[in-house]
Amino acid sequence: METSEKMHKKLVIKNKISEMERVIAFLEQMEKKWNLPAALIPSINLVLEEALTNVIFYAYEEDTENEIEVDFELKDKQLILVITDSGKPFDPTKKSEPDINLSAEDRPIGGLGIFLIKQVMDEVSYQRNGKFNQLTMLKNWQ
Amino acid sequence: MKTTTKKIDDGIQISVEGRIDTTNYNEFEKAVYKVLKENTQQIYLDCSGLSYISSSGLRVFLTVQKKMTATGGKFKLFTMQPAIKEIFDISGFSSIFSIYPDLETAKKGK
Repeated sequence: METSEKMHKKLVIKNKISEMERVIAFLEQMEKKWNLPAALIPSINLVLEEALTNVIFYAYEEDTENEIEVDFELKDKQLILVITDSGKPFDPTKKSEPDINLSAEDRPIGGLGIFLIKQVMDEVSYQRNGKFNQLTMLKNWQ
Repeated sequence: MKTTTKKIDDGIQISVEGRIDTTNYNEFEKAVYKVLKENTQQIYLDCSGLSYISSSGLRVFLTVQKKMTATGGKFKLFTMQPAIKEIFDISGFSSIFSIYPDLETAKKGK
């Protein structure tokens, strides 16, 4: 069977914020390799940062070293990102959405990350697979 | 990310260049808080060189807006790149910030 190596790439990072640099470099490589639309890159960067920092900051006990997997899949004009971690169960899609009509005074600080992911991506879904959290995010373009 | 600060006739102008993300938002915060301490009535933020912002950066913007509003001051953003404006739009930030095309109009704006 012909497995399309070029259409699937995996990046494994540690749960450290400094790893974001590697994620960005990897995304830039993917842009070139897969010829992704340049306009897509900042929003994909944003989505990866929001999703991964959530895992890095909250999924694991402090001072423990763990791995987080980021899978990139390209199908025609659809990019699928899957983030897998073995941290405590957490479904970000269940998080309540911020009220974006509030004034600055009333607007709470925070709670924006997941919301931005949902706004940027076309589909976001969560699954708990055994001891793994799996967040799948789809983006289509023309 | 780089910030430069200068006094202008009716306030303080901060110019920010590069990315504001989870790895460096605290540097941006530090630079802006320093300006806040001067109790100026108007802070002008030149966003022309801002190329990327994530929620950690947006949080700093919101905090500054809250602080300025609380003291009757103004926090004015100007010359924002379209990709950044889009993030402001989808997060509902466009309606809580005063965003101007350039410094001239920002100065005239209320």
